[in-house]
Amino acid sequence: MTEVLARRDEALSADEIAALLRDRFAEGIVDAAVEFETFTVTVTTPVWADVARMCRDESALAFDMFDCLFGVDAREEGFDVVAVIYSTSTGNRLALRARCDGGRDAPSCPSITDVYRGADWMERETWDMFGIDFPGHPGLEPRLLTVENFEGFPLRKDFHLTARVAKPWPGVKEPVELDEDGNVIERVTGIGDAPGPYDLDKALAEQAKAVNAPVGAVTEDASADDDASEADDASDDAEGTETDDATVEPADSDGPSAQEKAEARRREQAEARRRKAEERAASEEPDGDGEGDA
Amino acid sequence: MGVMDQVELPKPIKYVFNWGRKYSLWCFNFGLACCAIEFIAASTSRHDFIRHGVIPFAHGPRQADLLVVSGTLTDKMAPAVKRLYEEMPEPKYVISFGSCSNCGGPYWDSYSVTKGVDQVIPVDVYVPGCPPRPEALLDGIIALQDRIQHESLKERMAGRRLDPITLGADAPLALEG
Repeated sequence: MTEVLARRDEALSADEIAALLRDRFAEGIVDAAVEFETFTVTVTTPVWADVARMCRDESALAFDMFDCLFGVDAREEGFDVVAVIYSTSTGNRLALRARCDGGRDAPSCPSITDVYRGADWMERETWDMFGIDFPGHPGLEPRLLTVENFEGFPLRKDFHLTARVAKPWPGVKEPVELDEDGNVIERVTGIGDAPGPYDLDKALAEQAKAVNAPVGAVTEDASADDDASEADDASDDAEGTETDDATVEPADSDGPSAQEKAEARRREQAEARRRKAEERAASEEPDGDGEGDA
Repeated sequence: MGVMDQVELPKPIKYVFNWGRKYSLWCFNFGLACCAIEFIAASTSRHDFIRHGVIPFAHGPRQADLLVVSGTLTDKMAPAVKRLYEEMPEPKYVISFGSCSNCGGPYWDSYSVTKGVDQVIPVDVYVPGCPPRPEALLDGIIALQDRIQHESLKERMAGRRLDPITLGADAPLALEG
């Protein structure tokens, strides 16, 4: 603990750390391997706190920074507790993992709050979420993250979400599907092989296309109903505007439905947009910001 | 409030009174999540709801008229919202800003999230969105001011509230390119 700050060149390799711990604890070290890109030492619960203390105090290890602590639900095998510690001098990171005593019914793991004071709230959180007891902790109650009278441990795999019981999942796809044993079914979905968001997107795109029909086509339809003299105006932009406005008004006076009204409004807005664009093109001014969004 | 909650005010006085009230809404921001950032954006110079007479960052709930709940309300936080709401003097208004405070939003099936702030306190205006744009908050504020202008203070003080406004409920937002 009194070493100079940076001594990265003295950092022990994973194998050296494992050998050092095995030397001292022998049977207490169950396994040492790289898991999820972190060197993980699996230990038994009786030596859990002692391993942590050695990691902190041994000058070659000097894991002086406590990073985090959390639980893992191992289903019928019970629960694991994982603590991640870090050495600010050597730059090593180490995960300690222990299978709790007591199986699923009363999982417990010794507290390491007297080694790392920062483990206090992490252990309380793990108690909140998994119901793992930490003998030696100054006080796990009251609940830290949930309401104080909360029943159950929400991060356990067998915890039921009451909202899900009252109301089925409203989405088009179930985010997680379970088989009979409660295991997650891994499924690689291709685009379009189930009625999913992609199909919804397609349907929405069709709808939008129908609603925002090209202005030219609308004008053509309208002018076909009008006098034949105006039929050739469909190609002309400026004249087309006039025809379009003229067709909107009679539709209004006929007692239009809400849909027709919306259609007319949309057409008017499209016209306004186009007129604005034309004006801008005519004046040849370099566009500022914001204007183009209108 | 003295006599105002006992008798209906004469119309001209009511008009002036409500006009004054609607343009001095001291706002107490209950920012709980990302929607609070949109709220802050609405208070800064680009959108600037002070020009609508909403004065942000009241010194405390006792000095506030308007409570904006913006963000995810958890069961753990709910008693605090209720308590601070109760500390506010009548007449008081509540805007529920964003999906989470409207109904739980994406956390509708969570074990810890309250399914809408209206389970704890009465809401006047719901602003939908995840998160809503600052303009949506301005819309909500204007809808609320409109309601204040036309309301009877006597009814309000007697606890008879009108049905809440939900922005965009009667006219769905247009699909514009």
